[in-house]
Amino acid sequence: MKEERIKTDVLCIGGGIAGLMAGIRAAEMGADVVVAEKGNVLYSGCGRMGNDHFETYIPKVHGPDREAWIDELLRTAKGEILIGKGLLKTQFMKAYDIVKLWHEWGINMKYKKKWEFAGHSFPGRPMTHIKYEGRFQKKVLTRQAKKRGVKVINRVMIYDLLKEGSKIVGAVGVKTREDKIVVINAKAVVLGTGKCSRLYQSLTPGWIMNDGHGGTQSGDGRAMAYRSGAELQNLEMPQRHIGPKYFARFGQATWIGVVKDWYGKPAGTFVTKPDKRYGDMICEVNKLAPEQYTQQGKGPLYMDCTDITKADHEYMRHWMDNEGYPAMTQYMDKDGIDFRKHPIEFTTYPLRGGGLIVANEKAETSLKGLYAAGDEAFGDISAAAVFGYIGGENAAKHAAKTKHIAIKKTHPRIKKLKQLADEIRGRASGPEWDETNIALMQTMSDYVGKVRNESLMLQGISHLRMIKKKAEETMIATNSHELARCLEVINMLELGELTFLMALDRKETRGLHNRPDYPFTNPTLNMAHVIRKVRSKNEMSWKTY
Amino acid sequence: MPPVINEEECIKCNKCVEICSEDVFFGSKKGEIPIVRYPRECVHFNGCVSVCPVPGAISLRIPLPVQLVYKPEKVDL
Repeated sequence: MKEERIKTDVLCIGGGIAGLMAGIRAAEMGADVVVAEKGNVLYSGCGRMGNDHFETYIPKVHGPDREAWIDELLRTAKGEILIGKGLLKTQFMKAYDIVKLWHEWGINMKYKKKWEFAGHSFPGRPMTHIKYEGRFQKKVLTRQAKKRGVKVINRVMIYDLLKEGSKIVGAVGVKTREDKIVVINAKAVVLGTGKCSRLYQSLTPGWIMNDGHGGTQSGDGRAMAYRSGAELQNLEMPQRHIGPKYFARFGQATWIGVVKDWYGKPAGTFVTKPDKRYGDMICEVNKLAPEQYTQQGKGPLYMDCTDITKADHEYMRHWMDNEGYPAMTQYMDKDGIDFRKHPIEFTTYPLRGGGLIVANEKAETSLKGLYAAGDEAFGDISAAAVFGYIGGENAAKHAAKTKHIAIKKTHPRIKKLKQLADEIRGRASGPEWDETNIALMQTMSDYVGKVRNESLMLQGISHLRMIKKKAEETMIATNSHELARCLEVINMLELGELTFLMALDRKETRGLHNRPDYPFTNPTLNMAHVIRKVRSKNEMSWKTY
Repeated sequence: MPPVINEEECIKCNKCVEICSEDVFFGSKKGEIPIVRYPRECVHFNGCVSVCPVPGAISLRIPLPVQLVYKPEKVDL
């Protein structure tokens, strides 16, 4: 396989909101920057078709008490997130600056020329999110990056980080549209590859890509960080979301309706009529409500917008256009499905796992020269933008005082990827990527899913390891596109195995980590559960947030 | 999910091929009508439809397992 070499100061892996913000800031600081993106930066990551809510503290609106504002966030949108409060503080000290920057760059952060607070908040409580017109946010951020000289390379999947001794010196990957290895020599690397969305079974059995995050987010950043010895945390703590059934889409706070049962009885107590300021917070208080209703013989549950006023309907549709809903609303219009006539069933989405890369307030990981931002370190749009920006700034500073270290042709990780790629491309028969992905998803859902006890997980990890070994030895790809998909599955198998190890090690029940053999929550374990690879062995530890 | 191309309307600009991050159009050639090589990898986010300069030249077909479930106005028994 041919090899292409590129040299830069700062390499951003993943061109979502975090990666582009990192690129923009690093270039402003004077660094040469490459953003390597698996798809196309104009249309990649969770924010690809836009968003409409941005968490921000605005001093003139909220007054001086930031603590109260952060506490409110922990009661609402941030309730499930297992990270340190220090990260939240950093985010909200900086978020408003980013809001102003984005507005200046051409992303309309206002509504009718004013800050518009709505959604993700309880009636009568402080409002935490502004509405913004994010439909073209990726286009705007790409333009800003290019304006600052950032080199964007689309269609390259970075697979591994490269180190010389303990120093990060770049990364290696494959092109997705041609058989070619790409080696990027960099002084600092920012990871921003997003979530891991194909670890557990999807909403639609057999339809792997039906996921609200898109199909390209396969935990590549976490997997490569782990292989290089960086710390990951809380892989055993899954999350679940809520949204329309079976058309997987997030953004429940954009809906203006009331969650009701078949007979019209509201599930929650927050609103009884559609309210454009608050939506229905039951979707955030209890994302499991639809599943519980079904289990209790009371299902289904609907998002019922039928009482919406004409003006509020137009308002909701406007924001849906900015929140990545046009595919759904265009199909609804064509099929005569009308928010004003038809309550839409809401469901609890399947488990999503993958944990996080440990990163601090400076977006530094546990490895010097390696930074992480966005969903793989600390997600949501505002956090991705803030920590992308901070990560880019610190990566540029690190690069400025670091010399390039040449990458040897015989670097073991380059050799390993070449060999892996040649083998997968060269085999005549064997499992394809999707066959392997289905095997992974069912093993995760059945053995480290909603219920996890020791014997179940010991059986599960043993089965998963067998699948992993067979996958690595027998998977096939007929072209470069399928090769990248195979490498994604190898990354996810790695993260799946780590999930089992960490779930076995967390001997308590907490949130969605449900261990009937350890049914109580252990208050002393309200900590980051950390895993890292030390000389091919796994080390697990507990750290305070 | 799978994009459907109206071959009579398509002007072969390949904008849909360029934008799709899942690369469902993999293998399409410049100046030719795009091939929907990997329809099952479509995530129905409308990127291709939104960049298409000719209204109606490309559209998404929402597959049966992904259809919305909505409350009917009445149920005949």
